[in-house]
Amino acid sequence: MGISRQSALLSKDVVNQMAVIVRTSQIHNPTNIAVATSVEKFVLMVNGLIFEEGPVELELIGEYFYLNGERVKFSMEYLLNFDFLQREFKKRSLGRLKFNCEIKPEDVQAFLASFIACQFSADPFEELSAGLEHIKCMETGGLRRISEEAEHDLRKTVKRTYFNAVSFARGVMNKIKTGERVNIKKAKRIVESMVDTLLDKEEFLLGMTAIKNYDEYTFHHSVNVSILSIALGQKIGLGKKALMELGLVALFHDIGKTEIPPEVLNKPSSFTPEEWEIMKKHSAAGVKAICRMKSFDYSSIRSAIVSYEHHIHDGSTGYPKAMRISELDLFSRIVSVADQYDGMTSSRVYSRTPMSPDKALSIMLGRSGTQLDPLLLKFFVNLVGVYPVGSVVMLDTRELGIVSGVNSANFVRPKVTVITDSMGNKTAPYVADLAEKNASGVYVRSIKRALDPVKFKINIAEYLL
Amino acid sequence: MDLVDDIKPAQELIVALQKAKKNLRMYPVNNPVYARTIEETYRKFEEFLEQQGDFELRVRQNEIFLGEHAIYQAVDKDDNLAFFFFKDGVRTLAFKRGLAMDELREFLQAISFDFERQGNDEDVVTLLWEKDFDHIKYAVDENFLLEDEVYESEATTHAKVEMTEQSELKKAYEEVLKEEFEHREIEVMPITNADLIELVNQIENDSSDKARKFTGILFELFQTASPAEYPEIAELVRDSFEYSVRSGDLLSAVHMLEEARKKINESTPDLLKKNLEMLFVFASSQNIIKMLGEHLDSGLITEDGVFADYVQHLDKEAISSFISILGELKTIEARKILINALAFLGNKDIQALARGLSDPRWYVVRNIIYIFRKIGDRRAVEFLVRAVNHSDTRVRMEVLRALGELGGQGVVQTLKEALGDPEPSIRTTAARALGRIRTEAAKKIMLQKVSDKGLGNLDMNEKKEYFEVLANWNNEEVIDFLMKTLKATSFFKKARRDELKACAAYTLGLLGHKEALSHLQKLRGSKNRLLSEYAYNAIKRIEYGN
Repeated sequence: MGISRQSALLSKDVVNQMAVIVRTSQIHNPTNIAVATSVEKFVLMVNGLIFEEGPVELELIGEYFYLNGERVKFSMEYLLNFDFLQREFKKRSLGRLKFNCEIKPEDVQAFLASFIACQFSADPFEELSAGLEHIKCMETGGLRRISEEAEHDLRKTVKRTYFNAVSFARGVMNKIKTGERVNIKKAKRIVESMVDTLLDKEEFLLGMTAIKNYDEYTFHHSVNVSILSIALGQKIGLGKKALMELGLVALFHDIGKTEIPPEVLNKPSSFTPEEWEIMKKHSAAGVKAICRMKSFDYSSIRSAIVSYEHHIHDGSTGYPKAMRISELDLFSRIVSVADQYDGMTSSRVYSRTPMSPDKALSIMLGRSGTQLDPLLLKFFVNLVGVYPVGSVVMLDTRELGIVSGVNSANFVRPKVTVITDSMGNKTAPYVADLAEKNASGVYVRSIKRALDPVKFKINIAEYLL
Repeated sequence: MDLVDDIKPAQELIVALQKAKKNLRMYPVNNPVYARTIEETYRKFEEFLEQQGDFELRVRQNEIFLGEHAIYQAVDKDDNLAFFFFKDGVRTLAFKRGLAMDELREFLQAISFDFERQGNDEDVVTLLWEKDFDHIKYAVDENFLLEDEVYESEATTHAKVEMTEQSELKKAYEEVLKEEFEHREIEVMPITNADLIELVNQIENDSSDKARKFTGILFELFQTASPAEYPEIAELVRDSFEYSVRSGDLLSAVHMLEEARKKINESTPDLLKKNLEMLFVFASSQNIIKMLGEHLDSGLITEDGVFADYVQHLDKEAISSFISILGELKTIEARKILINALAFLGNKDIQALARGLSDPRWYVVRNIIYIFRKIGDRRAVEFLVRAVNHSDTRVRMEVLRALGELGGQGVVQTLKEALGDPEPSIRTTAARALGRIRTEAAKKIMLQKVSDKGLGNLDMNEKKEYFEVLANWNNEEVIDFLMKTLKATSFFKKARRDELKACAAYTLGLLGHKEALSHLQKLRGSKNRLLSEYAYNAIKRIEYGN
């Protein structure tokens, strides 16, 4: 498949307009003038595309819409509508909508009526498809499920991307220490592959950040912060190039730690006030390290700013004590959110007990507006959900599980890797989708509560890797 | 059709690609060849896609294949299109129907990027990746990105080494069931339109000047640094400064200079002061000034006050750097801006500016003299008089103009000598210069010149120039001379005499001398057309003031 450049430009408007008609018809009756006007506009757009391209197929894969196989690219003003529409599709397990020939407003209105009516059904997709049987020009398909084999391959790719990034981060730190130049071309390529992986298989790569490594904390942390920052950047609608820049600066945000004496950096107990003062120097040291490691350019500036600012909070608290920082850089604020989340949920040398993801989020929400940007934090919570990947949960079936995938259409119903039976006995792990309902339309499993993984001595890597 | 015919269009496509890669690097964007190359290459792609449909090229180290056919083969690494893609990991390149001219332009720009430039951190894959083309796809072998081949397997094994123990799990499980449940409800607030508007604002505001912010950070580092750290921070400041200048961001460069200036005061420790002052030396260095010159020529820097602000911070060392690029600038606008800068700096050190008078390029010397004229400092005279014998007439004329404007001791004598120059343009320029000086001595020299017997032999225009200069002295002596010339009678060499009369009439007109009107009326009836016309014009000027 494939579409012309003009159609590619129009495709984002089609998705946007579809969100508009769904939203409007949720408020008004399908015959209402507001609905009718926006439906007419939608019909014109779709028929225009059909005229140019022949049959038009809109498909939701992961977090993205594809039109005749091409990913629909959109700018920030469309973000909300795209986000809304993909949630509405997911709620109904609708993955594909095909327009075989020119459509009429009555067809769209019939579709909308079914689309609205089916949302509380036990099997919304089935009901929606049945409601559309008489419309010859429109065809629906369910959300595509990745086969086990394909998922295995995907996980392998994601794992490789992740560990290669960690290995690179380790190499960078060592090179900085020995005064060698860092291969920035390679850094960019590694971040590019992380961006691509996030765009395609967000939950898999986010899942990797839940696997913490105590011994190699600094390198894992750099990569985790980079991944979480890119994911947050993507959530707020940054373009590919900006995501790469963000991922790169996040990867180097703690580079100044190479200047901290190892006896302080690796101290297994709490820091003395003097040691804290030394630790705090890593932000400023990062500025120098970044400028030394590569030829000076725009990315040096951006990286150095983030290195310097990522512990400064709004209101100029935090460190270093900045005298003239009027407003924190957007990238600094993003990295700050990612840094706090990953730091809190990891076991570090000076704080071996990691927090559960939900507890970390709850603390971060308490810092909203003081230490963390409230708007970005809101987007972050929308990204990782109520039960972020890696959360240990007890289900209402009294089974234990580890959250392994976020459900952006319904945050309290993520995918969970079940690891015990209802008596607490370890079982062969399997993935349960908490959005799954039984024949009577009742959810098969629900989360009862989140638990502290440390208490259970559960090694998350055992299940997520 | 045989194989050769079959693959010929594909081979031509590759040739077009290679040619475009070369041309886009060689010619500036505004050059017609640049645009034509893109159009021609696009036409070739369009035709090929039309005939063959979507196609994929396979890239090997020294070959490019279409299907099974090698459509490109190279023997060495230089100018090797296959290797160019291969070395960065590109293994396939696919072009699809619907390819637009803009897309191809961006693709060609990406492959013609100057990857060898010092300090460049891009490779072709990154540039293609950033473009995110709709109709150009590529596959990359990421294997060479691997830092450590065994790291993944080791890390995985290490992460899984501590398996979750059944007994521990069971124990904790039972404990948790008995525990009080601490409910932590995380509320996921839906993103609203207001959030989106705020986000757009934040992103828009964020695009403001990063370089300026970075400068602020660097100067903050000075604040908390130990003296031993000053040189390193000062070097970062210079790197950042150089980057700003290199990218044409003069505003940020000026900002840095201002910040450094602010930091230097009486209480600044000597070592810090020394490190800060190095920035001004750096800003005045040949390397930096050369970059400025390139930006001036390209139009990236214009005379909008920012350049003048920059120059304010430079020391006199910049003069020689500026002089050296003065002759290299290609556009008049750029030269004008630089001349203004040198006029400012030259004022600080006339002697340094005067060194430019020895430049082998005549036009540079002329510009330096022009700068001296702009500065208007009499200290320049001693250097200028040395240039009065320059081999180029244009330079000599400029010197005389400058001397006339500056005046001062020794100037009149030099100008007097120049009045005897074999070159008419030098003589008239010297005369005008004397007129500008307007001293008694200058007047005498000019009266002497116009009374000279040899004057009659000169061209009318030159004579007129000399008489016009006399108009600078509206006094009795000059009027008497002019009136005498006007009234003079002679049967010999009448035509030459009439020319002198015409010149005198012209000057009296300029001076508005009413007493001359009756004589001028008489001369109006002269049979000599020139004299009659000059007399008429003089009358008009005296009577009506124009």
